[in-house]
Amino acid sequence: MPCFNMAAPTESTDASLSFATGQSATVSSAENVSLQYSLLLDHLIGDKRQIKDLNPTVMGALPSPRKTKEEKMIERGMESCAFKSLIACVGGFVLGGAFGVFTAGIDSNVGLDPKDPLRTPTAREVLRDMGQRGMSYAKNFAIVGAMFSCTECIIESHRGKSDWKNAVYSGCVTGGAIGFRAGLKAGVLGCGGFAAFSAAIEYYLR
Amino acid sequence: MDPMKAQQLAAELEVEMMADMYNRMTSACHKKCVPPHYKEAELSKGEAVCLDRCVAKYLDLHERLGRKLTELSVQDEEVMRKAAAGTG
Repeated sequence: MPCFNMAAPTESTDASLSFATGQSATVSSAENVSLQYSLLLDHLIGDKRQIKDLNPTVMGALPSPRKTKEEKMIERGMESCAFKSLIACVGGFVLGGAFGVFTAGIDSNVGLDPKDPLRTPTAREVLRDMGQRGMSYAKNFAIVGAMFSCTECIIESHRGKSDWKNAVYSGCVTGGAIGFRAGLKAGVLGCGGFAAFSAAIEYYLR
Repeated sequence: MDPMKAQQLAAELEVEMMADMYNRMTSACHKKCVPPHYKEAELSKGEAVCLDRCVAKYLDLHERLGRKLTELSVQDEEVMRKAAAGTG
């Protein structure tokens, strides 16, 4: 092997030296050079290396002020799954409340007296009906929103990617969990339906 | 070559080595974790998680390979010295 001869004329060892021969040092000064090499490596990437503070500025990035501990903690909290599902819960509550109050106005069956079907309901009855419907819708939306957001965040953290599939998977989980209370078939239907709905929303958003 | 000189030389080389490692790491993790489909300026949760994992693995790899390389280098140097002593 020509390179073998060139690099180490008196060498007779096997392929395990292949990377040492890449030093291109002749054997006469090989002892000096190879000693340097291993010693140098020891100090550079081996056990005797200095413990360095991995500052991006030193390593070649743009110099930027260091983030304080509090800042990092706050950022980590705001990006966490718990915070996101809390936001979704509150948002769902508000949205559900508005939706419930709105539909109470449209689809009202309040104050229906079997004996006197033409009686107009009192204001108190109407308001109570609106409040009840609003609260019921709000709670449902809040729970669904929190579940969806939580599962989506967990799935996204697990996969390490952020694409449309996260929403579809978490839609299936949420729909399945909601429908499962009414039996297995309802669970499967809920999974499929909610996943399709999520896919449509994701398609629209992306 | 005495350890002091080796340490000094290593300190000089280390800056360049660190810069090179940093550049390679950012380029590799960027290629792996951030698909070239920029819809918004912020990193999403999945991308941030992927980057954390990528950097941790890269640095772990760097350390392990460094240790293994120094081990092999010491072994090779031993063999070469024996061969040189044998023929010399």
